[in-house]
Amino acid sequence: MANFRRFRPDDLNKLSKCNLDPLTETYELGFYLQYHAKWPALFQVAEDQHGNIIGYIMGKLESSPDVYQFSEHYLPWHAHITAVTVAPEARRLGIGKLLTEHLEAAADANNAWFVDLFVRRTNLKAIAFYENMGYSIFRVVKDYYGDHSSDPTQTNEDAYDMRKPMKRDVKMEHIRDDGEKHEVDPADVW
Amino acid sequence: MSSYARYGRPTLKNSVDLQLQNAFSDGNWSTVIRLADKRAKTLKDPYYEAIKISAESQLDGAADKCAVLVALDDLVRQKAVPDADTLELYEWAAQDFLRIDLQYAEAIGPLRARWVKANPKNPFALQCLQACLEFWDLVSAQQIAATLDKAYAKSSDRKYMFWSITLTFLLSISTQCTDASRKIYCMLVLKQLERAADITENSSKVEPQDRGLLTEEEICLYYRVLLVHGTKSDFITRMQSPRLGAISQLREGHKLLLWETLDTLEGWAEWDHIYDLCREALNLGIDGVTHPFLVCDWRVWKRFATAASKARDSEAALGEVQSILKKFIAMSTGAPAMYKKNISLALLETTFRIPAALLSPNSDQRGLSPRVIQIGLFLDQYFDKLSAFDDVKDYVAELTIEEVKSFLEHVLPKILDEKPGKLSQITLKSLEIKLRYLLTTCPQTLSHHPTVVDGQEQHKPYQCRLCSNLTSFPCEHCLNKIIISAADTYGKMADSDLGDAIPHLDKDPRLDLALVMGLSLLKLAGLQPRTSGLAWPPLQGVKPGLFFQAVLLLDTQLQATPSDSALRLLLVQLYLLLGCTSYAYQLWQPMDVKRTIQDALSPLFFDRISTLSPGLFQGTRPLMDPLRSYYGGNLRDNCPVRIWDAFSSGSYTSIIDISEYDSKLRRSCTLMMTMVEERRATRCFGGKLDYDIDDHPLAASISDSTTLTNKTDYGSFPHLESLHGAPIQEFVRLGPELSNTRSHLSFLSEQYLDLLSFKPPKDYRPAKANEAALRDRTYIDERLAQLNSSLADYLHQPSTPSLLTGAELSYYTLTSMLAAVLLTSLTIAKTDSAAKTPLSLLSSSIRSALTGLRTSYFSSPNPAMSPTCFSLTNMHILAQLREAAVAAKHTAAFALTFHDKELARDRSGKSGLHRDAVAEMKALEMVAGKMLQEVKTHVQKLKESLGRGGWLDRMLDWIFGGDESGEDDQVKKAVQEVVNSGPGAEDWVGRVLESWRETVKGWGMVRME
Repeated sequence: MANFRRFRPDDLNKLSKCNLDPLTETYELGFYLQYHAKWPALFQVAEDQHGNIIGYIMGKLESSPDVYQFSEHYLPWHAHITAVTVAPEARRLGIGKLLTEHLEAAADANNAWFVDLFVRRTNLKAIAFYENMGYSIFRVVKDYYGDHSSDPTQTNEDAYDMRKPMKRDVKMEHIRDDGEKHEVDPADVW
Repeated sequence: MSSYARYGRPTLKNSVDLQLQNAFSDGNWSTVIRLADKRAKTLKDPYYEAIKISAESQLDGAADKCAVLVALDDLVRQKAVPDADTLELYEWAAQDFLRIDLQYAEAIGPLRARWVKANPKNPFALQCLQACLEFWDLVSAQQIAATLDKAYAKSSDRKYMFWSITLTFLLSISTQCTDASRKIYCMLVLKQLERAADITENSSKVEPQDRGLLTEEEICLYYRVLLVHGTKSDFITRMQSPRLGAISQLREGHKLLLWETLDTLEGWAEWDHIYDLCREALNLGIDGVTHPFLVCDWRVWKRFATAASKARDSEAALGEVQSILKKFIAMSTGAPAMYKKNISLALLETTFRIPAALLSPNSDQRGLSPRVIQIGLFLDQYFDKLSAFDDVKDYVAELTIEEVKSFLEHVLPKILDEKPGKLSQITLKSLEIKLRYLLTTCPQTLSHHPTVVDGQEQHKPYQCRLCSNLTSFPCEHCLNKIIISAADTYGKMADSDLGDAIPHLDKDPRLDLALVMGLSLLKLAGLQPRTSGLAWPPLQGVKPGLFFQAVLLLDTQLQATPSDSALRLLLVQLYLLLGCTSYAYQLWQPMDVKRTIQDALSPLFFDRISTLSPGLFQGTRPLMDPLRSYYGGNLRDNCPVRIWDAFSSGSYTSIIDISEYDSKLRRSCTLMMTMVEERRATRCFGGKLDYDIDDHPLAASISDSTTLTNKTDYGSFPHLESLHGAPIQEFVRLGPELSNTRSHLSFLSEQYLDLLSFKPPKDYRPAKANEAALRDRTYIDERLAQLNSSLADYLHQPSTPSLLTGAELSYYTLTSMLAAVLLTSLTIAKTDSAAKTPLSLLSSSIRSALTGLRTSYFSSPNPAMSPTCFSLTNMHILAQLREAAVAAKHTAAFALTFHDKELARDRSGKSGLHRDAVAEMKALEMVAGKMLQEVKTHVQKLKESLGRGGWLDRMLDWIFGGDESGEDDQVKKAVQEVVNSGPGAEDWVGRVLESWRETVKGWGMVRME
């Protein structure tokens, strides 16, 4: 059983079901609070009947700084999924999908062109999940991660920058079919 | 935040000449002072005076450094308005004082507020607001915000108005102003918001430049304020408003207000309003006004059903709930699985809320009731989901015994029959075993049995209504059966088909089976919740063989499923109980409890750790470093982390949330635990403490009257028990969890020890030694009286004994008595002929308390356990005994040193201690010294005992030896079978022994003085 609601700081004392899972990163306090402060409607949680957090999504709305307006890598007004996680015991119930759909609705409400996210190239499960939800690869960010999730001999790993167009992008100008062929450096992304 | 990103060196005004600019940017302070002085005289511009003073603040001399304080004080007193550059210069120059002596709100804040009042539309005004917020000077920040609001009253930028309102609200609940001011702020903020709410109510459309409530954040802010300062009826009336109520917000897709309102109404038990609100909210989904499942949350359904059951016409109300539920069921084809499950659970909840009188007369309340059928239907659909047990457990625990029997004898077997697949069978069997364990924790499964039957005294007070055996609570026979059945099912998983299928399941069923077996063994071992009988050690009366079996079995499972945090957390607690702290730490570390989650999770390992194993603190990285740096990083500034982000984004509810969270973090029991544990360990090894605890920067917000909050997160523990009894964490904890009382007692005790260990700097030579000595004495007397009184206040609270272990209660009581005896010794007149009585009374109480602690450790009240083992599981008591003896010894040393010093200073002999006090202190010193020696000898003996051979065989014999028959023997064999599937008992005993040896080795390094 679950409830979906906006994150509140006291939830940080109820994160163990999600954050003791090795696949979920624990951030500094300021990181969580920054999202709650700046984009409270885009930081949503799923809680169980005891108030434990069993899933959450953190997102933001932004565009690249104006100074990059004429750069080919400039990102117009869009929503970004920073983190989404579901506790092991709450998987296979569509909680991740519901949280993501909520963020997409907020992106549409804020007139964003698209929603984007980064995912490890080897995280096939997550890639399939996002593809199912209408996301596609927009570009490959070379050596984006400073480690490799499955090969300890590698010192870094590529990321896929995946996107889903929002209602504003009527002409589908912000997605591409051959995203896997577009490689960029980490310095080119914000 | 501010122009020079606190605190880089500010740039001087462009009008300043290049020579002075260069000297300033080079930090050539003597040149800056000379040039600035010259320019000030020539140009008569006070800015140059400010440059000079700021440069002086960079010099080493105390007078130079303090010049800026004098300048600031003058400006505040003169009610002057310095220019912005001067303000920036002075704030930079005073930065070293701002974190210690200088109150921002009394020096710079008012100057900034004055400046903004004079220049409200200058962009620098925003920086002034930011700066005041950074120092959490709410008074000045509110004044600035009010000025800005007035200046931009007709603008469409609404943030100024709501900054002002939010800051007024924060002040109205803050300690930064007087009660009288708080009342005024409270009225002010309510008036402002009521006016805004009325504008919204009475306008057909609110425009941005109107001063009404427009956005979700603004409306929620209004209700937050109303909740704190308004009346219940105002809140409820406004909530029904078609423009500002939760339903109107929901129509716009905003759910936050509905959630907050339901929480509030539930707190007030306003069930009729909850019912109306839930019905309206759910109907919006049915009518297509909102997304159909926007409010299809479990809590909405649960509250709706509960409210209906409490309605005057509950039959009609519950009928309405069912009718809405039916509509949702009809809509749910293709709905997300989570919502479908919420709807199924809502159906279950509704069935359980129907009063017995309303159930159909044909329904069989005594057995196969609608409640049982509904649980069966739910499980039939969701039995393979990981959360299935958690979803139904509270409902199963509510069943009557007839319903329980029907559920176990008819419903579960029927589901088993209908799911013939091997995997389904195993999953269902595992679920059944968990449910059977749950039922052993439910009181309705037992009936009272007469204590005397046919003249014979009965030792079993209950009869189990499931197995009919006479028993104590919980039923041993049922637990035995559960273990045997679980082990049998566990063994079946060796089937290769099943083994291959495990990765496709939500969870390896063996994990749950092992947990049930482990928990059943712990109960059979006699482990009791640590909520009563705290005077005794946790393993007193526990059957060691069964306890060891439980830990061994659970450890075996952890080797097979190392990523399960519930099992890992449980084992960490069990190893702490067992005295295997280094091994517990090995299990703790892979959970990677770091950064933000430390405040809630660290107590699960670190609470009382210095009393269990001081040796752990001797590692290469200080044990508490991550915790210390977490608090240090997030509480360094006075303002809550990221608060300006919330202001600048117009997230008004986030401002309130974040400031509340910050306030709690500064009053966290875990924070106090971090400081105290580290200090105790440091003292154990004779290390130097950086601060007196009350001077510690992290303790700045804590005084005697502060309520410290415990936020320990037990969410990841196994939850197989019913709500009728204690949760499992209370069984496996060393003692009561962190609490305000315990935190304060530890804080006060540390302050007492700080007082005893204070030594003035070596170069401290007061000019008037006698006067200084008198002042010191007065200070010590006052401090002792204050500590004694505060300790006594906490100790005399009726709840205190239930919040401490027996050893802690003795230690803190003893500390309080030591403060009292020291105070009496220092203050009693030398000529007082009646001095002996109070002194000897106190001293004898202290000696009794010490002896009591000694007895509780050295006497072994568990005959089933070897004295060495029992000692190793009770190091907490030994640690408290040592701490108490050290405190007693230091108290005596303090008094005797004081006496000697006074004799040396005042040759008349009038100012030393009373001779009875000297005698008592000498006696106390001797007793304490003797006890410390005894502790030392005991640690040595433990070391020798663990060094002797034969431990492996002895422990294996305790675990699996003995010649039980019948069920006990079957249980032993069942456990052995499971254990043999892993590394085995010998390997485990080796790890336990190694950890015990490490614990004792650490204790061997502890100083006994």
